[in-house]
Amino acid sequence: MPDPRHFTTRRGFIAGLGFGAVSLYGAWAAYGAAPLPFGHTPSATPEPEAHGHGGSNGDSHGGHAAAAAPTADDFRLEHETFLRTYAQTDGSVDPHAASHGGARSHGHAHGASQGAPHGGHADEGHDDDGSATEPVTVFLMAQKFAYSPDLLRLKAGQAYRFRMMADDITHGASIQLGAASRIIRLRPNIISEQTITFTKPGEYLVYCTVYCGQAHDAMQGRIIIV
Amino acid sequence: MDTIPHDAPIMAGSGLTARIRTLPRPDKALLNLLFGAALLALVLGLADGLLTALARAGALTFFPDDAYRLLTVHGVSVFFYWLYLIQAALLLALAAAENSRGLALRPAAWAGAALMLAGFAVSEWISYTGTPLLYDGSPELAVDDPRSVGFFALGYLLLSAGLTASAVSGIATLLQPRRRGEAEEFGAVGFALFAWAGFLIVSAIAATNAFLPGLLWSLGAGPFPADHGTEWHILFHNLHYLPLMATVLVWYVLTRHLTGVTSIHGARLSKIVFAAYLVFVPPTSLYHMFLEPNLSEGVRVVGSLLSLFVSVPTLAAFAIIVSSLEASARAHGATGVFGWIRGLPWGNPAMANMGWAVVNMMVGLTFAFVLIQGELAPMLSDTFFVPGYFHLFAVGVLTQTFLAALMVLLPALNGGHLWRPALLARMPALVTAGLLLFAAAGIAAGTMGVPRRVFDVGYGGMAPAAWPVLMALVGIGASLFAAALSVSVYGVVRTLLSGRKLSAMELPAVDWKAGQNRIGAAPAWTGPASIAALVAAMYVFTIAAFQLIQSLPVAVIGGGHGH
Ligand code: HEM
Ligand SMILES: [Cu+2]
Repeated sequence: MPDPRHFTTRRGFIAGLGFGAVSLYGAWAAYGAAPLPFGHTPSATPEPEAHGHGGSNGDSHGGHAAAAAPTADDFRLEHETFLRTYAQTDGSVDPHAASHGGARSHGHAHGASQGAPHGGHADEGHDDDGSATEPVTVFLMAQKFAYSPDLLRLKAGQAYRFRMMADDITHGASIQLGAASRIIRLRPNIISEQTITFTKPGEYLVYCTVYCGQAHDAMQGRIIIV
Repeated sequence: MDTIPHDAPIMAGSGLTARIRTLPRPDKALLNLLFGAALLALVLGLADGLLTALARAGALTFFPDDAYRLLTVHGVSVFFYWLYLIQAALLLALAAAENSRGLALRPAAWAGAALMLAGFAVSEWISYTGTPLLYDGSPELAVDDPRSVGFFALGYLLLSAGLTASAVSGIATLLQPRRRGEAEEFGAVGFALFAWAGFLIVSAIAATNAFLPGLLWSLGAGPFPADHGTEWHILFHNLHYLPLMATVLVWYVLTRHLTGVTSIHGARLSKIVFAAYLVFVPPTSLYHMFLEPNLSEGVRVVGSLLSLFVSVPTLAAFAIIVSSLEASARAHGATGVFGWIRGLPWGNPAMANMGWAVVNMMVGLTFAFVLIQGELAPMLSDTFFVPGYFHLFAVGVLTQTFLAALMVLLPALNGGHLWRPALLARMPALVTAGLLLFAAAGIAAGTMGVPRRVFDVGYGGMAPAAWPVLMALVGIGASLFAAALSVSVYGVVRTLLSGRKLSAMELPAVDWKAGQNRIGAAPAWTGPASIAALVAAMYVFTIAAFQLIQSLPVAVIGGGHGH
């Protein structure tokens, strides 16, 4: 029996319409944000697993308590060392200033943690050719209701391996970049890592994006890029 | 020239209202109680929503704790009590109407109502007086205040228990005609009610799973609920789609009531679509977690891909309803591409609310699909983009649809008539206008980085100058839709309270019911055209978002993977 209905009123067509929004896949694939059928790898961003965590350093220093993965307590220690090593008199933290910090910070850097060797590389990044390829490690700890450090001095064009963690409860860290912001959620005792390169000098606001209590609105920091 | 069918207005769908009118008295009393409680929750939530919006716009200033208490009361009242009390009430009302003999397992239904009302009281009280926990009640916000955590959890646990009892009564009511041998199988609506009731019970279990640990901890009987975040996500995703499923069901029922039209594609397709909610919703939940530091890149990509399917049941239901309406209108002589739409009984406030709800759904879906792309999450999640777009759903789609149902059911239940229908029929357009301003400004603000759940976004002068301007527009849009919505709510409350005092008056409806042989010969382009427009809009905004995120003066590698 032939169907006298126009195709737009037939069942199969109607059911197909339900899948209409799936066609947004095309836009995603165009931006590399969805895998293509023939082996094209999704997205320009490499797997985060691909870049090593502090843990690999831990291995190279055999016998250190931190085995493959650094624990939250390792992170706290490394963060402490980072602050002590690179703290400036104006309260900011500048990972490139280590060479001016003298023997004290170097001593700590080697004695206490594996985070600092990354900092050591920062000195090489200090070279005037500015083409440092090795990311410089930077620590950011979020706690009620502040970031530590809350003022970072970094350089444009230099890659930074941001190692971040919330100390107490969940927080967020959003970097305001002008037209939009870039957000990460920070869970307590979970170490997050991103390699970030700022391409323009400026003073960037960092603010908390997960409600964390009474002074949540005031939780902010700054990154100064020169 | 478009021609619109001008069949004499009739009491279309009198079936539904007649069956509601003849429900047993105790059932009517229960339904009035639940409808009244739901409306009370809505009124409380609207008031706090408006205060929240004005505070975010910078027009009002509160001490931080008070501001977050308002936000807590807002979310708790509307997202939990309004949406779940009204769902329980509609489930019972529609199930009783299907059965036509009233509710089965009436004691369960009453116990359910009592539990939900107790939960409502506990939740409101602790939200107004305790440590502000926002509507997700995260225990880590009150490690030093177990009392707040415990009572907050208790409120939701009572709600869940009550919802389960109500759904059990609803299921028993739906099954009764079959058990008595009076009916062979479910119709589309009966089946949808059954699936919805089952989904409600599953969600109540998920809620118990998420909140019982908090209660036990507060009593010293369990460890600190450190996993709350994960349990909440599982629950929360379902909580979005339950009311959406209910909305689509109400559209089915109201379409039939207002136009006489049922699906021209057969009950089986509708049943598949309702069952599809159970299939498509659970696996699409990953997009809430894109910012989680311990989610791997692979999961993020797969999560995005699965999320593309989240709208399948809703769009399929939309296509079924619209094509059925259009084909029926054409069978009754409508011509012109979209002219048939003007033939719908827009003078009926239920029609106006439902029709504008569909508009809100299309706009809301557009932005929902910008948000489900994992690579855009670092720019958009946790910003005002989220409340900016989802009020199109929460207010524009869900709330307006449920109010439409009340506008039909309440007069039938109590024998009065709807308060000032001509005025009420104008409100949905105003609500939508306000929502569009709220959403446009809110989405723009969020895209620029304005966080959600922050009342003072000045950041000591560091914030971009555009932020306060956009948030002021959010406040203006909110005031407009809050005012118009309040008129609708007032009309419904007046109708509930006026009872028998007003004489019945018929509201406009049409009867487009047509014989199967006349239907579908003419093309019906409204459905496909709307979905094409929707997809085009999704492309535009998704591409704009990708362009923006790529233009930022930063290069980031790694989505924040950790341990
Ligand atoms: C007068 C009407 C309403 C106004 C003016 C309003 C306004 C707002 C505003 C401005 C926010 C954002 C607060 C923030 O993130 O900083 C918000 C949050 C929210 N609104 Fe509404 N709203 C209204 C009605 C509704 C309705 C009817 C629903 C649901 C049915 C709803 C559900 C929510 C939810 C779930 C949140 C999130 C709460 C949170 O983040 O903790 N709103 N509302
Ligand atoms: Cu915070």
